[in-house]
Formats: sequence, structure tokens, C-alpha cells
Amino acid sequence: MSAQTKLGRIAAVLALMIAALATRVDAQVRNSGASPIALQAVLSQSLSVTLSSSSVNFTLQAGNANNPGSVSVTAKTVWALNNTIGLVSLYAFFANSTAALTDGAGYNIPSSDFQISDNGGGFTALTGSAPFGGANAGLRLGTTFIFGNNVGSRTDAMTFNINLSGLPNLPPGTYTGTLTLQAQAI
Amino acid sequence: MKTRRLLGIAAVAITMAFATTMASAQALNSGAQTIALNATLAESLTLSLSANSVNFTLAAGSATNAGSANITATTAWVLKPGRTAVGVYAYFTSATAALTDGAGDNIPSSAFYIADNAGASTALTTSAPFGAANAGLQLANVSITGTNKSASRTDVMAFNINLSGGTLPQLPANTYTGTLNIQAQATP
Repeated sequence: MSAQTKLGRIAAVLALMIAALATRVDAQVRNSGASPIALQAVLSQSLSVTLSSSSVNFTLQAGNANNPGSVSVTAKTVWALNNTIGLVSLYAFFANSTAALTDGAGYNIPSSDFQISDNGGGFTALTGSAPFGGANAGLRLGTTFIFGNNVGSRTDAMTFNINLSGLPNLPPGTYTGTLTLQAQAI
Repeated sequence: MKTRRLLGIAAVAITMAFATTMASAQALNSGAQTIALNATLAESLTLSLSANSVNFTLAAGSATNAGSANITATTAWVLKPGRTAVGVYAYFTSATAALTDGAGDNIPSSAFYIADNAGASTALTTSAPFGAANAGLQLANVSITGTNKSASRTDVMAFNINLSGGTLPQLPANTYTGTLNIQAQATP
């Protein structure tokens, strides 16, 4: 093989290598810079109570312990809470323990004679101190512990009674008042 | 006779003067000087965004929590011969924690949706060339031909977070933050 032929072959091999290298360079992908978008999503805390009805009537019998309300009322408590919340409680209360209902003429039915049965339980008078309302004029209907149920709800079906056995001398009249339901998450 | 001789001498003198003038009119050239020209059209691929932040007001358990604004991504390229496609990708660096409250509560990329150019809303659940596995979405794939080696495209992105799946309905109330990246790639 002549020196000229050898040189020719070497040149051919070099040319092929250069071509292959060029192809590999071209084969590399080209990327743009990454463009970031900052995302912020806010899930706000919420706690609400809705009632199936907002009025209850009672037909009273003097001195009678059983004077049920005309309808049951269902309270639905719904929450979306953060991880620092441990429990949700629902309370019923009056603003005044001595005059839960009044005839406006000085005669009153105290909260201690107003009773609620929650979800079929026993009737209980509103004599406790709730976070809301008057002293000794409240009742905690229920408590739900928050363990992994940061988003949830509870239902309380309430039936009502006015016990007049301790008020046998209550004068005939129309007695009105406002019972308030409110939830608290702590 | 004398006059004739004088005329002859004059004619010879004029002819010599003309010959000298003719010799002076010939062009004189310098040597040629060369200038090497080198024009480089660099390959480029860029992506720009119309905005770089999106906010969401979440409702617990809701499948529809739209982003506060659409964002338009403009991808522009000048490519070398041999390129066959340009892809545009959206991705997170984590599939499990696309957004997080920093306290262990996360929104995964599978709950984050993008609708590109009013198309169907699609979750970021595939593996893109960038970002984490199963945390990406290819927004577009443009075939490169002889007519679009230098071109651009726009992608108008609408965002949504779906909190209806898995354990997300129980996502605690909080502020969740994250970074979505948009990036383009020319291949091969």
C-alpha cells in the first residue's frame, strides 16, 4: 500500500469521525430556561350552623311538666378547620337565664324550665354556662373531636319541652323568647 | 527644403509625445486584500410568561377551584437543521407535594389541572423531561419542518385544583404554596 493510499484512508476515517461527532452534537436536545409560576392556594377555615326551622310554638298547660314544642329542629354544623383545632361543640343558649321566655309584663319562664332532647337523648334544661349567652342559660348539645376530620359535619335533631311544674302559678299569657344555636371550634 | 525638414522633425516630436501619454494611461493595480466573513445565526429556544403567580381560593372538597388568572406562555425558537420537534412542558419537582402548607399537608400534582388553549383540563401526572416523575404534563408538541425552523407558539393556560379525590376532601384549612415550572425542549 502506497503512502498516498494510506494517507487517503486516514483522511477518510477522520472525515467519518468528524461527521459522526457533528451528528452527535446536533442530536443533543436544546432546552429553554425554566419559567416558574408561584402558586398560592388558600383553604380558609369555616364553621357554620344551619337550622331546619327557625320557629317553635308551645301550647302550655299550667303546672304541667310536659309541654312539647310544635316541631323538632335539626341543626347541621359544618366545618373546614386547620390542624390546630381539636374539637367542635354545639351550644344552645338564651341571653338571660331568668327570662328565657317572657310575657313582657314581668312574668318569665327561666331557662331552667326549658329543655332540649338532642338526637333522642334525655331532656336537659339549659342551666349550664356556655361560651355564649347568659350565665347558667346554656346547654352543650354535643362535641365532635377533630382527628383527621378537618372537614366534616354533625347533625343534631332537637326536640323541645317547657316544664311548668316548677311554675304552677305562671299567669296565662303569650311568652316569647329566642333560643340561639352556635358552634365553637377550639 | 529646409522647411520640409523642420516639419519632419516636428512630426516626429509630436508622435513621441503622444506615445508617452498613452503609456501613462494604463491602470495600475494593487495586490488583492481578502476579508473573511463569518455570520453565525445562533440556535435559540426561549419561553416567556405573561405572569408568574396564580392564586386559588379553595373550597373544601370541591372539584372546581379555579386559578385567579390565566397565564400565556410564549415559546420562540430558531433551530438548527436536524431538529424535528419542540415540546412545551409544565411540571412540578414533586408529584406528592405540588403545593404544601409546610406542615405535612400537601396537594399532589394529580390534583392540579391545566387547560391549554381552552382544551380539556388535564392533571400533571406524566413524566416530562423535566421535574419529578409523574409530576408533568406536555402542553404542546410542534413538528419542525423546513418552514418553521424559526417560529413561535403561544399556550394560554387556565388552572384548577381539584380537592374531591382521595383524602383531599379532608385537607386542613391552611395556605398552600408551590411552584409550577414551564419549560420547552427542542429535539433531537
